[in-house]
Amino acid sequence: MTGRPRTILHLDLDAFYASVEQLDAPSLRGRPVIVGGPSRRGVVCAASYEARRFGVRSAMPTAQARKLCPDGVFLPPRFDRYSALSEQVFAIYRRYTPLVEPLSLDEAFLDVTASRALHGGGRDIAAAIKRAVRAECGLAVSAGVAEVKLAAKIATDLGKPDGLVEVPEGGVAAFLAPLPVGRLWGVGPVTEAALRKLGVTTIGDLGRTPDAALATAVGTSSARGLRALALGEDPRDVVPDEAAKSVGAEETFGEDLSGRAALERALLEQAGRVGRRLRAAGLAGHVVTLKVKYADFTLVTRRTTLANATDDDRAIFEAVRAQLERVDAERPVRLTGVSVSGFAGEAERGQLDLFQAALAPPPEVEKRRSLNAALDVLARRFGDRAVTRADLADEDGREDDG
Amino acid sequence: MELKIGVAELSKALGRSQGIVEKKSTMPILSHVLLEAKKGQLVVSATDLDLAVSSEHGESCEVLKEGALAVSARHLYEIVRALPEQQVTLKRANNNYLEVRSGPSEFRIVGLPAEDFPALPRFEKVTFTDVKPDELLEMIERTFFAVSNDETRYNLNGVYFEPSPEVLRLVATDGHRLSLSERPSSSTFGLKRGVILPKKGLQELRKLLAEAVEGGTEAGETKLGFVENSAIFRRPGVILSMRLIEGLFPDYRQVIPKQGEKVVRVGRDRLLETLRRISLLSTDKAHAVKLELGKGTLRVLSQNPDLGEAKEEVPVEYEGEPLKIGFNARYLMDVLAVVKSADVQLELADDLSPGVLHGGDEKDQGFTAVVMPMRI
Repeated sequence: MTGRPRTILHLDLDAFYASVEQLDAPSLRGRPVIVGGPSRRGVVCAASYEARRFGVRSAMPTAQARKLCPDGVFLPPRFDRYSALSEQVFAIYRRYTPLVEPLSLDEAFLDVTASRALHGGGRDIAAAIKRAVRAECGLAVSAGVAEVKLAAKIATDLGKPDGLVEVPEGGVAAFLAPLPVGRLWGVGPVTEAALRKLGVTTIGDLGRTPDAALATAVGTSSARGLRALALGEDPRDVVPDEAAKSVGAEETFGEDLSGRAALERALLEQAGRVGRRLRAAGLAGHVVTLKVKYADFTLVTRRTTLANATDDDRAIFEAVRAQLERVDAERPVRLTGVSVSGFAGEAERGQLDLFQAALAPPPEVEKRRSLNAALDVLARRFGDRAVTRADLADEDGREDDG
Repeated sequence: MELKIGVAELSKALGRSQGIVEKKSTMPILSHVLLEAKKGQLVVSATDLDLAVSSEHGESCEVLKEGALAVSARHLYEIVRALPEQQVTLKRANNNYLEVRSGPSEFRIVGLPAEDFPALPRFEKVTFTDVKPDELLEMIERTFFAVSNDETRYNLNGVYFEPSPEVLRLVATDGHRLSLSERPSSSTFGLKRGVILPKKGLQELRKLLAEAVEGGTEAGETKLGFVENSAIFRRPGVILSMRLIEGLFPDYRQVIPKQGEKVVRVGRDRLLETLRRISLLSTDKAHAVKLELGKGTLRVLSQNPDLGEAKEEVPVEYEGEPLKIGFNARYLMDVLAVVKSADVQLELADDLSPGVLHGGDEKDQGFTAVVMPMRI
């Protein structure tokens, strides 16, 4: 390792989505709560610790979770609520350092090297953050403290739930040594099996195995990378928050859809959700992408670049509808998705278009804008489906997503 | 190939090719210039396959042995500009090396065989029309700035060149603003409809026109012609050809508003300076400024949440209703920069409709700029 020793925190909210549900509905506390897609083909997004006792895990099909835990409380996800709480939690993190790298809504790396002088050592900072998150948001967060990202993340996992594990300075290799190799990033079942043949089961074994022997098992370049990790060498920096690069909505249908008309209905609804999210985030993008996954899981995406950045449901829908012409709409489709990326700078969005103004006179554009704003207010107060387009009105029981 | 030539002359020849050669092409030969010694002169050519220039130099040139060779345009140009003497000898050596000798200096540059150089377009039977370099240059200057850089709008990546038996019109737009310059002209250039001249080609054309204006040209020496899908520009000793942009130029007429109800007259220099100052505090890319128009005054304001705010009042001739409207200051400054009159006339309707700018007197006759506002 080069340079001064760093202090990196890994923070992970425990069973985040399920904990939020228990937070908002006290009657659910102490009960197995499973958040997942409601359709019979959905998967589990999060399971409370009570549910985990029954063997329920994230990413497991909901149907299987129901078998394992028939008395569980199954809830559809409410991503708007989760992201609002996540923002509150991340705001607490940022009181301690600007170097916050979110990995997801519930997980982040913090580099607090420079904050130690002000806030004490890594363990003190982690403890202070845990207290603040508990007091201000009512949520439990597990923390790992180490000199490198890899060790910090593993430390968090070892301490869960509500844990705080610190790897002492200079102790990364010793901390990792007794752990199974499968804990390392990049070691999946195949690599693990190949290593086991060499007699390598722990990370410590890996560190002691000669390069040449490793190379024959996993290839030269992986061998070098794995050994470095095993010795606790993980030079990756904490890269602070990058702004979102795209905003999207997608949906796995309860039953496969086919035919242009059916797909367009789904896309219209998804375009509406994307538009709403864009406007809520104050974003507008140039690139509109259509994603279609067929029943046989083959995936196609088609994208188009609009001359003007948009956050308008209708414009997004027209763009994906045009892209739909380029895919086979007659095959059974399992999932469609709509996303907008290529965000315009804040200022660019205010610039009006000469030709658009000539084609659709400004009052029209303004009407759409105020209509969108009014609908957004209703959706925020009464939920996404408070007001629905007439052509979508008979739909219900749709699966939401993130 | 072997020849002697004046360093200044060679430098001029190579200078004409610098804007055309591709710096990052996957085809190395496109970063090269073709040197041909023939019939007592040196011909230097460059192409990026859309644009091509050939520059002929008989003056101060003595061909000792005819022949041809391609060499890196940038390296040869840099060497030639740094040579110690007034004269230079170019000689093709074995293995396509080019020997450059001037006084005590000697260079050997790796070249490529002339046969590898792409065939330059040959245009037979082009009907050329005389153009006045100063007038055409002015028309290009007045429209070029509004050309779009957005490659997805390829039909806006150039200037629309629309001749008619009465008037020649050049128009450019990037979708946010539009600029139009027209002059009485009786030639149709053999065209049935307007064509789109590409931005890169216009950039080179501007240089050659400026050379002509500076050097002084005899009437009838500067010509422009069209054939198939190319435009060809010719002056004594140089020929530039460019492939036209294929595509439909949008109907610009529909976006030029009729006379707006609110007409403001303001000093060009004063407004330009004010915009330059006030936009210093605008948010980065869009240079947004707010104009508050009242009787006799125009207040220009900017605001940046990170930096602060600025405002300035400019005296104007205006008697109408008050209006607040936002603009990208750069779009306004681009227009003011090409206006020659002391005053400009700004015509507005409301805060969501395009503003129209004209020069205040006959120096800017035929010039119209349209700028779409920003929402504020």
